[in-house]
Amino acid sequence: MKRIVVVLAAAVLAVSMVPIASAQEEGDLVTLRVGLTQDWDGLNPALNFSVPSYDVWNLHYATLTDKAADDFATIPGLAESWVVSDDGLTYTYTLREGLVWSDGESLTAEDIAWNINTARDQGWDNMISTVQNLDATVIDERTVQITSSVPDPKLPTMDMYLVPKHIWEPIATDYDAATEYEAVDGVGSGPFILENFTKGQSVTMDVNPSYWGWEGEEPPYDRIVFQLFENPDAMVAALQQGELDVIHGFPAGSWDALEADPNIEVVSGLQGGFDQLAINGGALPDGQPHPALLDLEVRKAIFHGIDRAAVIEDLWYGHASEVEAISPSANPIWIPDIPEADSFTYDPDLANQILDDAGYLDTDGDGIREMPDGTNPIIIRHAVNTDGDLAPSIGELMVGWMEAIGIGVELEAYDQDTLYGVTAEGTYDTFFWGWVPFVDPDLMLYYFTAAELGNYNDSNWTDPTYEELYVEQNQELDPERRIEIVHEMLTIFHDAAVYLPMYLGPDLQAYRADTFEGWVKQPADIGPIVFSQTSPSYVLLTPVGGGAAGSDTNWLLWGGIAAGAVVLVGIFLASRRSGTKDERE
Amino acid sequence: MSGSDRLTSEHARRRGRRRLILRKVLGSILTLIFVLVFNFFLFRVVQTDPIGSLFRGRNVPAETLENLRTAFGLDKPIGTQFLFYLKETAQLNLGISYQTRQSVWDEIVVAIPPTVALVGVSAVLSAVIGTLGGVIAAWRRNTWKDQSITSGTMVFYSMPDFWLGMIMLVLFGVVLGWFPVGGMTDAGSNETGLALLLDELYHMFLPALTLTLAYLGEYTLVTRSSLLDVMGEDYLTVARAKGLRDVVVRNRHAVPNALLPVVTLTAINFGFVLSGAIAVETVFSWPGLGKATADAIRGPDLPMLQGLFLLFSAAVIFFNLIADITYSWLDPRVEEI
Repeated sequence: MKRIVVVLAAAVLAVSMVPIASAQEEGDLVTLRVGLTQDWDGLNPALNFSVPSYDVWNLHYATLTDKAADDFATIPGLAESWVVSDDGLTYTYTLREGLVWSDGESLTAEDIAWNINTARDQGWDNMISTVQNLDATVIDERTVQITSSVPDPKLPTMDMYLVPKHIWEPIATDYDAATEYEAVDGVGSGPFILENFTKGQSVTMDVNPSYWGWEGEEPPYDRIVFQLFENPDAMVAALQQGELDVIHGFPAGSWDALEADPNIEVVSGLQGGFDQLAINGGALPDGQPHPALLDLEVRKAIFHGIDRAAVIEDLWYGHASEVEAISPSANPIWIPDIPEADSFTYDPDLANQILDDAGYLDTDGDGIREMPDGTNPIIIRHAVNTDGDLAPSIGELMVGWMEAIGIGVELEAYDQDTLYGVTAEGTYDTFFWGWVPFVDPDLMLYYFTAAELGNYNDSNWTDPTYEELYVEQNQELDPERRIEIVHEMLTIFHDAAVYLPMYLGPDLQAYRADTFEGWVKQPADIGPIVFSQTSPSYVLLTPVGGGAAGSDTNWLLWGGIAAGAVVLVGIFLASRRSGTKDERE
Repeated sequence: MSGSDRLTSEHARRRGRRRLILRKVLGSILTLIFVLVFNFFLFRVVQTDPIGSLFRGRNVPAETLENLRTAFGLDKPIGTQFLFYLKETAQLNLGISYQTRQSVWDEIVVAIPPTVALVGVSAVLSAVIGTLGGVIAAWRRNTWKDQSITSGTMVFYSMPDFWLGMIMLVLFGVVLGWFPVGGMTDAGSNETGLALLLDELYHMFLPALTLTLAYLGEYTLVTRSSLLDVMGEDYLTVARAKGLRDVVVRNRHAVPNALLPVVTLTAINFGFVLSGAIAVETVFSWPGLGKATADAIRGPDLPMLQGLFLLFSAAVIFFNLIADITYSWLDPRVEEI
């Protein structure tokens, strides 16, 4: 027994010593500590797609052009300037002088051209849409020419992550080889370079002194550590304790507690993500909704019966934002203004009036309206996404909203995979799901074209004018005109009453004001401070007071020793008691 | 009984036991095969298109999606997919994860050590401490010791483990700040060797304590009731009548006979060590198999789920087999059942 006590005591003491070691190590480097709740699916920029992976790439790989923090405007990146040909198809970029990869190899036009042409030829998932019509030619070491086979309004933006050719060329021999590569070689060109990736736990990135953006000045801090929390409440606690400097994706219920902390600032960052309630528009012959839903008046009535303000208040604790037309981009400039008169404001009386006027009456007095000919009660199938956080609640709310306007609802539960199939086939009447758009609106607009029926056109809706305008904006090189076209398209889509955006969903983030300063929102005023499109905050941050951010916490040491002491005393007492008992017996 | 009779009966008993073991092993293999088949169809009861939902909202041309469906064999009839699955699984190739595009086996292997460490340590600690507690409780039946041990372990046993975990985390991690609130190591530290091991132990303390407390009650109750049964037996009265000390009666005569059900319980619980503790791993952000399972379900990542379920089932089947065999060895009467 004595020996066991001694061994246990040694173990406990050893464990309580640990904080000393880690605290000292941390003390040498000024570290920004980021907490998040979503795991990295991998770090291969050709293939992986989780949100946290993008922030690692934003730091690790510089891009040919950059995006302004305020409005995503295209600004110089690795390229210091560019000129466009008269036909608008060819862009010639001039690289900055003396660019190098973090391992010291020169970064030249050859790297840029190889990335574009290889991604196109091998069909890398994340790049193919950007580069499928492009061809890149090396003019000289600092000049690269990119030609598009069609007019492309996205140019001159070239925001694809550029991987080092000298590392990748021998590996990426074909699509399979390129996408199976784990890409943890630690060679990049961005402000911070991948130092360690432990899947399911953390990513560590160290400052890259040769990043062009430091412009020869001393980088203000040394290291960024991303730490994954499966338990969001534990992440919130870690921020409050000062173990983290910024957190992403905390539960809306923690907002008030965080806001009340004088050292913590909370951010509700919008970057275009929205959730919608969709009605089956019946474009596919085999995917027909309840016949009443083919009537525009009925769809309008349904939308007037939905209380979006209550959803924002009750399910988002007031932290989501109202929106009337869908948001096709992270930039709010693309959302059209819908006149008040055409908005689907919550008004059950109006909804009932519309349905009465259109002849959908409750002829048998069971509380559910029938078709104008008195048959076929309007009972709709609402598909519930069981993988969605809010979808089950919205499903329940939907039953109540529709009951108030004389429409029956049957809830049908699907996991996300199955729901995709259901929406693609059109075997539903309504459903609730969401989207997170890119900066360029083209993809979101494309989803509601006839080409996407049976795939991502989940409102099962088409419109000939919308279709024509889609083609027009796709090649419109005048930015002002393109915005006008897009506004027109989204107004048509809104007025068709098949897709009701419930709100713009925010990224809830919080940071400690007493460790780092200089946080910027992207886009300006409304956006998030980290995990945005290019996450400009990281290079602009400086430690408060010029260093020693996240200073060593001595209480951790004392806490460890105290815990060890308590356990020791407990073991000692227990051993004494059993000892005396044995003696007694 | 003559010498040759005894030999024959000894021989028959051995043969009986061998037959029993053989039967159990065969049964286990059949169960595993059943799981293998069931596993495949379980995830395909509803026809889904994982590629469609995986690429929703991503800027990927339709032909890329088609290529991927072909690459994953999703365009083939279900029968062909099943044969392919059997062939590959037989060669221990569990396929490629839909989500990470890495080999399922590689993804699973990295998650095994954290789970085995956490759940294994807790399983051993709770078995040892719980059994000791049960022995004391039974031997000192209806005293304050019995009552405090029984009710104490029952309180922890009846608490949901994630809730107990949250209480531990808030108390020791947040309020007192003695232990880290999540993860397996200090993120961003470059420790190696002993320092790394100690850091991991430090992070493991709270989740291991939670699981140990949660499992204690099971062992205490089983040991206590089993020992109470044994305590009424005549041979204990005989042992006492021989004048043996109380502690000797307990440790040499009573406890060994009372431990049979505990051995079974322990073996079965070890089968669940690999399945991890999804809730507790989640509360403490512990990067083990429980977390891997939760992630795979969220995908859903069918090849990952298939691989994980196969591993879990195999572990449970294997340890059940061990329990059966150990039991027949500890208690010769088993072969007659």
